Amino acid sequence: MNFRKLVQWFWDFAGAVSVRTKILGIVLGFILLLGAGVTLQARYALTATLTAQLEEQSISISRDLAARAADPILLNDLLSLHDLLDETLANNPNVRYAFLVDKNGQVIAHTFGDGFPLGLLSLNSAAPDEHHHTALIQTDEGLVWDTAVPILGGKIGTARIGLSDASMQAALSTLTAQLLLTIVLVSAAGVLVAVFLTWILTRPILGLVAATQAVAKGDFTPRVPRWADDEIGDLADAFNAMTEELAHTEELRRERESLRRQLMEKVIATQEDERRRIARELHDSTSQNLTSLIVGLRMMEAQCANCASITKAADLRAVASHTLEEVHDLSMRLRPRVLDDLGLAAALERLAHEWQARYKIPVDVVIQLNERLPGEIETALYRIVQEALTNIARHAQAKSASILIEKHGDAVRAIVEDDGVGFDPSAQRGERHLGLLGMRERAELLGGTLTIESAPERGASVFIEIPLAPQPATLDLRP
Amino acid sequence: MSRFPSTIYQLLILLIFLASCSPLPQPPIVGAVNLNDLQPLPTPLNTEAVPLRVAIAAVISPKGTLESYSPFLSYLEAKLNRPVELIQRRTYLEVNDLIEHGEVDLAFVCTSAYVQGHDTFGMELLAAPQVDGKTTYNSLLIVPASSPAQSMEDLRGKVFAFTDPISLSGRVYPTSIVQKLGFTPEEFFARTFFTYSHDEAIRAVAGGVADGAAVDSLVYAFAVTRDPSLAEKVRIIHVSPDFGIPPVVVSPFIRPQVKAELQTLLLDMASDPAAREALASIGVERFVLIDDSAYDSVRTLVSEIPIPQTP
Repeated sequence: MNFRKLVQWFWDFAGAVSVRTKILGIVLGFILLLGAGVTLQARYALTATLTAQLEEQSISISRDLAARAADPILLNDLLSLHDLLDETLANNPNVRYAFLVDKNGQVIAHTFGDGFPLGLLSLNSAAPDEHHHTALIQTDEGLVWDTAVPILGGKIGTARIGLSDASMQAALSTLTAQLLLTIVLVSAAGVLVAVFLTWILTRPILGLVAATQAVAKGDFTPRVPRWADDEIGDLADAFNAMTEELAHTEELRRERESLRRQLMEKVIATQEDERRRIARELHDSTSQNLTSLIVGLRMMEAQCANCASITKAADLRAVASHTLEEVHDLSMRLRPRVLDDLGLAAALERLAHEWQARYKIPVDVVIQLNERLPGEIETALYRIVQEALTNIARHAQAKSASILIEKHGDAVRAIVEDDGVGFDPSAQRGERHLGLLGMRERAELLGGTLTIESAPERGASVFIEIPLAPQPATLDLRP
Repeated sequence: MSRFPSTIYQLLILLIFLASCSPLPQPPIVGAVNLNDLQPLPTPLNTEAVPLRVAIAAVISPKGTLESYSPFLSYLEAKLNRPVELIQRRTYLEVNDLIEHGEVDLAFVCTSAYVQGHDTFGMELLAAPQVDGKTTYNSLLIVPASSPAQSMEDLRGKVFAFTDPISLSGRVYPTSIVQKLGFTPEEFFARTFFTYSHDEAIRAVAGGVADGAAVDSLVYAFAVTRDPSLAEKVRIIHVSPDFGIPPVVVSPFIRPQVKAELQTLLLDMASDPAAREALASIGVERFVLIDDSAYDSVRTLVSEIPIPQTP
């Protein structure tokens, strides 16, 4: 479990840092591991060598002392013995102490000055037949290699030498310090190398990231240079191939979109023309005929006052009048003449008036336009508002609605609001969705935008903005 | 990113920690002691038995003396049933001083040292070793084997090794020869030096350090026995008349009973099989009584040669 935690921790950690940090980590980790290993090994080897040297030195110095001390001991020449010990101490910086013990264990001469650490005496000794005997002693000044050598086969005593390992420890410390310094310097160099490597590695990756972001925004022009003949170079090539493919596809899509729009424009224009023609036909021909019929029927009523068919004629005139009203109404809805004759404001006010009369929902209409707008804009706005009002009547259960049309800079803006039940604009399907799509399509064909703001129980607002300056209608690239 | 530097820091600490506690290949520590906790050394306890102190004059080097006399001293120890302490000094005069002040009980001294001791503070003869059936010895004038010298005259202007300032064979006799030639040693020789023992003087001549030396015939014979190659390196060009052999003496302060006991012991050694090794190791056949008159010829010679009181 712990291992899994460790692995989890590692992935959390490795996943949270950048490539730069990872490479830095690899380089530094490698240097530190190698440095630690080399330091340990070097210390181990040096310690082994120095320890062996120290022991050898200890043996050779004490045997030399034992040999040179024999005569002065035999002659009881204490001055020479002291000189000998002092000389031994002076000539060998590692020697911490030296002393001579007679065969009864009494100290004859020593280098400690005004006293003697008595505990030292029993810690080491050499049998008469021994070449030497070395023991390691812990002292307040560190470890001491104590070597005892019998003098003249132990007949007259023992020479004892203590070699401090301070110089060895100093050498070890120096070595360690130098190695650690080297590690630090190499680490610093490693960081530089790692930064350079990171730069080499991440430069193409960052280029790829920038290019990807550009492509995401629809800009297919950037091409990623192939910096190196490696995996990232392959990736760059693949990316460039993909971008070209995308650009090609996008071009096709644009062409299709353009065709679709042209088709749509044509369909709408044709539809409007057809409606206009039918409306005019209804108005000019059918209405005239119906009016002639009504006039004829009235004349017929007047000419034969007691005619039995008076009642019948009156009934027919009523039917004809009703049909005439319906034809007017149909003509109006197909294509209000007022839109062509008096403009958008008059047409919308009339539309609102009729809608209000029919659905019994008050509509507040505010139209702030000083001049007439281009015909296609007026038609589009009229149809959008018409569709919006139809939607309100069908779905909104609204208590009131409002229409605002105003000129805003180089654009005309329209807002249709209601206080009905509202809906989720992103979740629309079916007929209503098609209606909304048609509204948007009309706005976008003229280079405009249509935005719907609504939420359940919050009413709905439809914002339309259409530029007045003639504009290519194909800039919007969203699929 | 903020976690990373602290991790490096921890790694570095770990590294230093690891580096500073690598295992040391060394033997176990036998004990602990504080080298700066200095205490006075205890006064040596007196041994239960008072040791017999035996001084041996530096006829041969201290180490050689120890080796040669060890069996003899052990024999004394066993016979007397008391410890025996060997005391050596660099010069004959120092040993004489010890005898004079009763700091030694028994001493092997040089002939001239006996004469001087007897005449100044009453050093007492105990016995004399007998070698080759004789209780006399000679001074031998030796030169390197390659030297063309045939007599003392040929050593004029050369380097000469004396043994001890008051040694009869090593200094007094050769000095008397030089004086008969009409010189002091300082005038006659280019340079002189003291070796303080006869085996060292032989070694000095054999090694070419000295062009000549006068040595005790007993020591010479003993040394050649031990190292026959010496005979090829030195050549004897002169043999002195017989002198009284270096005797065994006692301090004037010694108790008469002890002196008698020691004398009997020495004289009986020849008949004791256990003493054979002890006698052989010092090159002595037996110990015999000797009269002070045996040293009269030496006395005459010594009186003509000034003996320096300090070496």
